[in-house]
This record gives sequence, C-alpha cells and structure tokens, in this order.
Amino acid sequence: MVHAVLKGIFAHKLRLFLTAFAVVLGVSFVAGTFVLTDTINHTFDVLFHTINAGVDVSVRAASGFGNDNSTGTSRDTVSASVLDTVKKVPGVAVAEGAVGGYAQLVDKSGKAITTAGAPTLGVSWTANPDLSPLRLRSGREPRKDGEVVVDAGTAKAHKLAVGDQVKILFQGPSENFTIVGVTGFGSADNLAGATLAAFDVTTAQRVLGKVGAFDSIDVKATSGVSTLTLRDRVAGVLPPGVEVVTSQQVADESAKQVQQALSFLGTALLVFAGISLFVGGFIILNTFSILVAQRTRELALLRALGASRRQVMLSVVAEAGVVGLFASIVGLGLGILVAIGLQSLLKAFGIDLPTSGTKVLPRTVIVSLIVGLVVTVLSSIASARRASKIPPMAALQGAGVEQGGSLRRRATVGVIVAVLGAAAMLRGLFAGGSGALPLLGLGAAVVFVGVALLSPLASGPMARVIGAPLPRMAGVSGVLGRQNAMRNPRRTAATAAALTVGLALVATVSVLAASIKSSAADVVDKYLAADYIVGASGFNPTISTDLAARLSKAPELAAVSALQTGEWKSQGQTRTLDGGDPATLGQVLKLDVTAGDIGGLSRGELLVDETEFKDKHYKIGEIVPMTFARTGTQDIRVAGTYAKNDLLGNYLVSTATYDANFTDRLDFVVLAKAAPGVAPATSRAAVEAVAKDFPNVDVRDQAQFKKQQEQQVNKVLGLVTALLALSIIIALFGIVNTLALSVFERTRELGLLRAVGMARRQVRSMIRGESVIIAVLGAVLGLAVGVLFGWAIVAGLSDQGITHVVVPGGQLVLYVVLAAIAGVVAAVFPARRAARLDVLAAISSQ
Amino acid sequence: MSTISPDTPASVPGSTRPMARGVDLVKVYGEGDATVRALDGVTVGFAPGQFSAIMGPSGSGKSTLMHCMAGLDSITSGQVYVGDVELSSLNDKELTRLRRDKIGFIFQAYNLVPTLSAAENITLPMDIAGRTPDRAWVDQLIDTVGLRPRLSHRPSELSGGQQQRVAAARALASRPDIVFADEPTGNLDSRASAEVLGFLRKSVAEFAQTVVMVTHDPVAASYAERVVFLADGRIVDEMTGPTADRVLDRMKHFGG
Repeated sequence: MVHAVLKGIFAHKLRLFLTAFAVVLGVSFVAGTFVLTDTINHTFDVLFHTINAGVDVSVRAASGFGNDNSTGTSRDTVSASVLDTVKKVPGVAVAEGAVGGYAQLVDKSGKAITTAGAPTLGVSWTANPDLSPLRLRSGREPRKDGEVVVDAGTAKAHKLAVGDQVKILFQGPSENFTIVGVTGFGSADNLAGATLAAFDVTTAQRVLGKVGAFDSIDVKATSGVSTLTLRDRVAGVLPPGVEVVTSQQVADESAKQVQQALSFLGTALLVFAGISLFVGGFIILNTFSILVAQRTRELALLRALGASRRQVMLSVVAEAGVVGLFASIVGLGLGILVAIGLQSLLKAFGIDLPTSGTKVLPRTVIVSLIVGLVVTVLSSIASARRASKIPPMAALQGAGVEQGGSLRRRATVGVIVAVLGAAAMLRGLFAGGSGALPLLGLGAAVVFVGVALLSPLASGPMARVIGAPLPRMAGVSGVLGRQNAMRNPRRTAATAAALTVGLALVATVSVLAASIKSSAADVVDKYLAADYIVGASGFNPTISTDLAARLSKAPELAAVSALQTGEWKSQGQTRTLDGGDPATLGQVLKLDVTAGDIGGLSRGELLVDETEFKDKHYKIGEIVPMTFARTGTQDIRVAGTYAKNDLLGNYLVSTATYDANFTDRLDFVVLAKAAPGVAPATSRAAVEAVAKDFPNVDVRDQAQFKKQQEQQVNKVLGLVTALLALSIIIALFGIVNTLALSVFERTRELGLLRAVGMARRQVRSMIRGESVIIAVLGAVLGLAVGVLFGWAIVAGLSDQGITHVVVPGGQLVLYVVLAAIAGVVAAVFPARRAARLDVLAAISSQ
Repeated sequence: MSTISPDTPASVPGSTRPMARGVDLVKVYGEGDATVRALDGVTVGFAPGQFSAIMGPSGSGKSTLMHCMAGLDSITSGQVYVGDVELSSLNDKELTRLRRDKIGFIFQAYNLVPTLSAAENITLPMDIAGRTPDRAWVDQLIDTVGLRPRLSHRPSELSGGQQQRVAAARALASRPDIVFADEPTGNLDSRASAEVLGFLRKSVAEFAQTVVMVTHDPVAASYAERVVFLADGRIVDEMTGPTADRVLDRMKHFGG
C-alpha cells in the first residue's frame, strides 16, 4: 500500500508541486518569522553581554517596578558620593560612574539624525577600557566640555569626522560640540542602530540633566575576588534605595526587555503566517477533493481488488502526509529567505531591526514541520473519508464528480457555523478582557469556514452574474468559460474561498483604516484647541523642554503647553499617565472637567477620565497608590474627572508631579495657541522661529496634523496589506491548481472543442474567463465579509474614539479589478496547458 | 481490385473530383523494433455526395486513416487533400480552421460539451467561428433528427441515441464539405443506431452531404453506398451497394 501511495505521488510530480506549494508558502512564513525574531533576539543578547563583558557588578538605584521588567532609564540616579564609597570596598579593582540619556546629533545640513526605533544615546565616556565596549577608531577620548566622540556608524552615514563641529539636541537647550574621536562597539560600528554621543563625565552629567549623580557605577573586581563576593561586599556599604547587581543580570534584563518588546512583533507576524496556512488549508482541502473525484475509478479498483475502506482512506491521508512533509521541509528552507524578506519589508515600513548571523533554533524546525504536516493531513481527511466510501462498483462505471452531503444539510451546517463564528467575534469585540483578540481571530476563522460551507449555494448564481459580460467580450469562449465556472459550484466556491479569506481581511483593515482616518479628523476638531502641534519627527518622542520654555515667551502665542507621558503601576498592572501644565492645558485642549476641579493638579493631585473613573470605581478624594519606577509607590489623591478626550489618556497629572516621579524629562508634544488678533502667518512664523533650533521637531497646524495622522494610518494599512499579500498569492496558486486539475479532467472535452475547430487562442480565452470569474467571485465574497467584519470592529472600538464607519468604496472596487487581473495571471499556465493538448490524444483519452 | 491508381481513384463516378483524397498514405508509429506501420501506402478518394464506410478488424488502421484524412493526425508520408487543400502544408491554426469550416465530426462517445444545451452544441462550430448559423438549415436539421422537444436539454439529460443525433446535427450544421464519423454507433443499441445511421444516409440522399464513416459493424456499414476494407494498413478490398450479409462474409475472409 505504501508503495502504491509513493508511486502515485511520483507519477504526478506537477500535481505534487502544485498541491505542496500552498503549504510551502505558509510554512515558510512561520519559519521565517521564527528565524527573524530569534535572530534579532540573539543579536541583542550577544550585544548586551558584549557591552557588559568587562564589568563584574553594577550599582544602580532600585526600581519601584522591581527588577522584572524595569526600564533602565526610568530609574532614579545614584548620588556621585556613592562612587567614593564603592571604591573603598576591598576587592574593587576599578569603579567608574556612568550616565546616559537623550542626545540627538544634527547632521551637516541641519537635520536631526533619527533612527528607526533605536535610541539616540548620550553617554559619559568610560576611561577604563575594561568597563566599556567602546573602542576608539580615530581621534581621542573626550576630555573637557565642548568635546564629543561619536559612533562610527553615524559618522560614516553622515560623513562626520574628527575636527567637525556638530550640534547636539538634549532635553535642555541644544549645544555645539567638536568631534574629537570616532568609536566603535568592539568591532561593530554602532549599537543595534542607535546613535551615540559620548562626553566626558562632567559634561555628560550636565547635558543629560544628571549633575552630581550617576545612572550606574560599574565595578571590576581584583583578581581572586568572585563576582558574587564582590556583589555582597558592595551591597553592604550602599545607602537605602541603591542596589548592586551582577553585570550578567543587567545584560539578561536588557535582553529580556528587548525580547518582550519584540514579542508583539513576533506574535503579529505569526498571526499572518497562520492566515497563510489557513488559506493553504483551503487549497489542500479542495485539491484533495478534486483528486479523489478524479481517481474514483482507480480507488474503486483498489477496493475491488480487496483493499479495505481503512486502507483506501489511509492511502489518501498518507499521500497528504508525504506532500505535507515534503512541503514543510521546502518551506523551512525557504523560511530563511522569508526572514530576510520580512526584515526588508519591516524596514521599508520604518521598523529597522539589527541582525547578525542567522539563528535557526530546533524549535523552528520542529514547529514548522509539525504545522505543515498537521495542516495538510487535517485538510485531507474529509476527502480521505469520501474516498473510503467509494464502492468497488465505481471501478466499472465512469469517473465520478465530487460529491458531498446534500446542499440543504450543508446550508444548515454553514449557517450554524457562521453564526457561531460571528457570536465569538462579537463576544471578543464587546466583552473585552485579555482573551478578546484571540477570540476575535478564532471567531473570524470560524466565520470563514461557515462562509466556505455556504458559498457553493451562491457560487452558481454569482458566477452567472459575474460572468455575464463574458459572452459579449469573448464569444463562445466566454460562454463556455462562464459555464465551466458554474458547472461545479462546490469546486468553484472552494477555490474562491481561499481568496475570500485574504480579501476579507484586506477589506476589514481598509474599512478600519478609513474609519480611523475619518474619526481622527473628528477627534482633532472635537478635542484640540491648539493652533499648532509640535511633535518629534523621529520614532522616539523626544522633545527638549527648552522648546516649550522658549515658545512660552513668544508674544504671538496665547498659550503653550507641553505634554509628557509615562508608565506607572497599580496592583501589578502597568498603566500610562500624561503630564501637563494645569495653567495652560485648558487653553490648548478642549478639556472638560466634569467633577472636582482642575486646580487639584497643581496640588499634586490626579484627574481621571470619566469612564475609567467609573470602571475602576474611584471616588473623588480617594487616595490612589501609584507606583513609579523612580520613586516607588506614591499616594496621590483623585481631584476630579474629565470628559473623554481622545488626545489624552485616562490619567492626568501636572508636569510638576510628572517631573517628581520620572527621570528623563522630555516632552512628547508641545501644543500652542495663537494670541487673539494675530494673523496665522505671523503666529506660525513665531513657532517656526523657535522650532528651527530643534531640528528633530515638526510644526503642524490642525489640517497638517490631521493629514499626518492619516499618513500614519496609511502606513499601517500598507504594512498589513503587504503581510496579507502572501495569503492572497497562495489563494491565486489555488486557482492555478484547480484550473490545472480541471483541464486535466476535461481533456476529452477540450479535445472535442479543438477537433470541431476551436483555436488555441479561444481555448486560452475560455480558461481565462473561468479563472477571472473564480477570482472575482472570491474577491466579492471576501470584500462583503470584510466590510461586515470592519463594521463590527469599528462598532466595537467606538469607545476608542472611532465613531463612524467609513466604507472606502473606490478602494474596494479597485480590489475587485485587481482580483480580475490576478485571475488572468492565474490562468496563464493552465490555459497554456489546455491549448497545447494534442487533439487526437485528447479525444481518445479515457 | 486491391491496386488502385492514384490518378483514377476507384468508384469515383464520372469526372467529379473527390471531396477528400489520400495519396500513398504511410503512417508509422514508434521507432526501431517497436515500429508499427499503421498505414502502409493507402490511396483513397471520397466522392461528393457519397456515403462511404471504412471497415477492417482492430488494428487494421481504419481509425488512423480517418484521423489523417480529417487533419487530426499527421502522416509520415504521402498527401492528404480536402477539396484542393493539401493538409501537410497547413500549420496548426490553418488545420484548426479547416476542421472548423470544412469538416464535420461525429465520435463514438463524448461528442457533446456537457455545459451546453443541445441547441448550443449543434451551433457550436459556427459559434466558435463567430458566424451566424443558417437558421433555416439548422431548423431543418433539428426536425430531421427529431430533436425539437429536447433542444434546451443538457447532454446529461439526453439518451445516448439522442446525444449522437445531436452530434450528427452539429456535424452537418455548418454545411461542411465532408463529415467524418468514427464508430458513431459503437456505444448505441440497435434502435438508436438505426436512427443515427438513417439520419446519415438521409443527409447524403437529401442534402448531398459527403459522409465517411469508420465502423466495424457490418450492419452499420450496410447503410453506406460503398465500403472500403482495410487490413494491416492497406486497402484490401472495396464493395459498392453493400448489405450486412455480404460485408460480414467479406470480413470473415480477413478474420482468419
């Protein structure tokens, strides 16, 4: 039996290839995601351990968040005097204090040098090379104020050299420096894409706002003193609130932070890989269904010769298993290429991640193989069961067509499945909670299965309507193509279903994006009072406080207010808050204080969003224990509530309260309102005049701000569509596959048509017509489902400020047109095969 | 009787040129030891308005002869003419057009496109050509084959005999120069066979259609005006005004 299976497979290499292809692509996406994230994680892991290689222990302020996922920059500083204490500990060979923070270089053309996500670092130069990974490539170390060393990566990219003057932005006023050296990180040019400016310690403390303090004190032990001994000795002399940890722990923490930050990306990519596999499953299902139908006589012969039902069923499952295994192995290999492709794709959309080497973990191999195998085998089971029911008598009759349960039963089951899926989606949307997203995804998958079950009922009439123009366009070829699309509704529907999934998701995000864009404009009108929005142009929201300070002095502006944002914890949950100036905030935002009074902010109290206030059952006057990384738990009184404002989060404190509890003091946006009677051009000029000294910011008026928000949404839409593209490509291969199998099945019919005078061109046109109908059918169904999905999701997000549903009609029509074109492309190969059939052989074939 | 000169093909009445003729046809399949000479020097002509049958035992080359005459298969050497056109000079496109416009086909089975109705199947060659069918002619054909009540039915809703009559009507619908029928009654019972063969004979008698039929059934052959006997790739005999008994008798001689 095994022998028969293998023979069967290798007798049809093309069939094997076409079937396997859907799985290959899906598996390669899974493998690629793993390879990419593992490689990135590994890169960071190596990086952090390299940075800390020479250090044995580090002294730093304890984090109010504990050490689980503390962010280094959020810690308080350690008084400089601790360094002297540490130096006196026996066993300390070298100890040096270090500070780090925000410092952004400005290139020669006056533009701020940005990164695609990596920080722009300012650090103190560590004198002892044992304690630092920095290695000078040229020049010398910074010795006094006005001198800076930059990283080799930035120097190369922006043509900076020793002796050049460079402007640097800080959280305070920007300053000019002379480059005295260029440094690498060991042998690397930069640190994971970050830019670096290194100053002497005193200058670093001054420009980074940490005078008389260090972020950490790095210590190296004398030989013979173990790291743990050293750690315990140092721990004994430290003042309260200061801790000592091994450098190993520091590196592990940093690597873990990156991993956590990236885990979202990995999960997101896996979701798209899952979608591809899901679509691939549809194709396998359809292919095996057709294959079993075409092999009815062959399988019946096996039964007639004494094979049991079980053996017939196993022979089909075994074929699926071989195909799945083969496809998974190929997919795994391709995954490495996909990882590179994904990285370029993310880079194109502004997410630049460093990689070095390629990391293929055993987990990647195992998961990829299992996933590919399981998807293929599961998708073949229905066909295998049908094969097992073929009676031996069928061997003597003609080849059958696919059969399934009655359409009535199918309709009932389909409706039930679709409704269950929709219910799961709605529950995920409206019930909220941590399981909401998985539930939404699962519900969507179930809906797709329901739609796939129901679509054969609609595919006949729909194919008739979609194909209506074909007879006029292509004559008898059009008539026949249309008839062929209608002759086997199950097959047409199953083939189209794969495309339905991809396009439904594309339509969903399109509706979502259009709705967000439209709502975002509303949000600006509804909640923003400022005329100008000054935001950072790079990835990191880092605006010097100096900007707001200087803008405040401009007489053309009535009010200037900066906003800060930060994280805090309560009962183990991380939340965000915003900081703002109570005196001016009400003038730049339409802030509606609904209970209590805004003056509470100035007394160090807290305002809470109305809805959040109710959800968390706060009371006015209640003391909330808020935990900050820098200052630990602070008791803060609830002063009042404000009506929902989508430009603010759920919690609002004064800038003074913010400053007291957070280390790095940078604004993420500065809002300005023109003074009454000042012409827009004049007020804008006033803002621009200050902003030009801060090359990392952009000034936008309300209209420009709306437009920028739109662009951001478009960017996300573009990325998601690109990631869905693979599932759409897989679906197109499904069409190729079905058409190729249909051509094979209709060999005699094609021979007859050719014999009675149909030209090759007409044969191709006929196949093309069928292909276009299938593609458009899948697209139309998908877009319909997607619009419903989008509508449901927008409704579920209504309390997030997405208030109205917008269906981007033009875009959807464009998708249908693209689907039709894709149908033409998918038909190329099967059409050529059909046209090339030898007429005589075709007529005489069985 | 077995030597027929190419210039004066046997049984062509008067000076009428044959509708289709083959001259010294040789068809070789395979190479080396596996070589099979399916046609071994056949010269034959089919006169206008004549109903001819090609008979012979299995492997005699009768189907190959028909396929080569109809432009479905290529010959190894010799010439095939349909009207004045020599087929070996035609490329695939021209051959396709020739089949479409000059030749009608009836096959043993699977003669109809399953997605088209009987009426659509009948006009298929004209639809392929993009020509408007001659309505009166098609109507006449439909009435002759007696299919008017079944016109909107799909092939799967027709009996085997009805399907074959649709195929016959289709073969004649475009007024081809010549109709080739390959075992048209091979899958039919005797009553359905009689209907189809009766129609073919009628088409010759009433419409002066030229028909060439390959068959191994002496009864079917008896409907023809002339029978050409093939054995081992050669024409071995010929008979005009055949009856089933005479054909059967003759066949017995080759059988041994």
